[in-house]
Amino acid sequence: MATSRGLHARTDLQVPNEPIVYNELAIRTNMSILSYCRTFVSAISGSSAGILGLTGLEGFIFYFIVSFVFSLMLCVKAGRNWQEFFRHRQPLVTSGLFGGLFTYVLFWTFLYGMVHVY
Amino acid sequence: MAELLLDPNIRLWVVLPIVFITFFVGIIRHYVSLLLTSQKKVSLQQVSDGQALVKSRLLRENGKFIPRQSFNMRKQFFNNEESGFFKTQKREGVAQNPMADPSMLTDMLKGNLTNILPMIVIGGWINWTFSGFVITKVPFPLTLRFKPMLQRGVELASLDASWVSSASWYFLNVFGLRSVYSLILGENNAADQARLMQQQMSMSQPMGANPDPMKAFKAEWEALEICGHKWALENVEDELIERSPTPVVPYGPHNFLSKMKVK
Repeated sequence: MATSRGLHARTDLQVPNEPIVYNELAIRTNMSILSYCRTFVSAISGSSAGILGLTGLEGFIFYFIVSFVFSLMLCVKAGRNWQEFFRHRQPLVTSGLFGGLFTYVLFWTFLYGMVHVY
Repeated sequence: MAELLLDPNIRLWVVLPIVFITFFVGIIRHYVSLLLTSQKKVSLQQVSDGQALVKSRLLRENGKFIPRQSFNMRKQFFNNEESGFFKTQKREGVAQNPMADPSMLTDMLKGNLTNILPMIVIGGWINWTFSGFVITKVPFPLTLRFKPMLQRGVELASLDASWVSSASWYFLNVFGLRSVYSLILGENNAADQARLMQQQMSMSQPMGANPDPMKAFKAEWEALEICGHKWALENVEDELIERSPTPVVPYGPHNFLSKMKVK
């Protein structure tokens, strides 16, 4: 899975009472991997919502359910030692939530039009 | 399902082409902007000023690890009343107005050229070519307020607002594909990203010197002036002996060596 790619690049921080040294590149890589996954999930869920023919509020609820499940999966994937990879846990759940909404709406509209309108 | 029957030709010749046009224009724009980016010219003077500032900052932060004499020597090099670096160096301020700097102006122009212009031109072209009919239906209800905006050229009062014409489909594409670009261009962007990082690294040093070196020198002079010397290694021998009472575990986790390696 893509998430495991850049994750081991961070420096060790085993010495107590030392300022923790973060690897800026690894942090950025991890965040971009998060946003890749988020975009991908938005596109897939948008496509499935369009094919299923969800309309109106159902579609938005579907998006939030899917992204919530995806966040849970990310948390499970990061596991107990998520601190190795992220400084805070919050980006796992919230990053790109509304940026992905545009992608979702695009794919939703596109496949809805293809399947149900024409 | 649909209460309005649309010609399948619209799907083939309007909806799909708009997606392709938007997508490939984005790709082309990415590569054109790569072509147009010019390396920022940094003069030798700026680099050396920046390095002097960095050196002074390092002295302030890590000066406690060198003996007092060495610290004072370095401090005098920068802050001596007669011959100090920050006292003697005179730089004329770089022009603050970006309009006065032609290279800055061309950079701004290029940014506009690659970002805004294609969007307006292609949006206008699509609006002009594919006007006069609705092309698809968004699967969520919209209020009547959107009608004049989204159904331009279709003046039907009774038509539901969720039927949209080509311009709105184009804008939906523009916004929706934005993150898809990062997905697609991100893969072969590794070299690009590395170069960006490199640029930032080289940027960070002369950054302080860029706006106005005299001001930066003044600030650094003040900071260094109030910075006293407190030797951190005063009792280092005692501490070292206290910490490792017996040489039983020479490479244990609390070893002095492992502690130094991190520094």
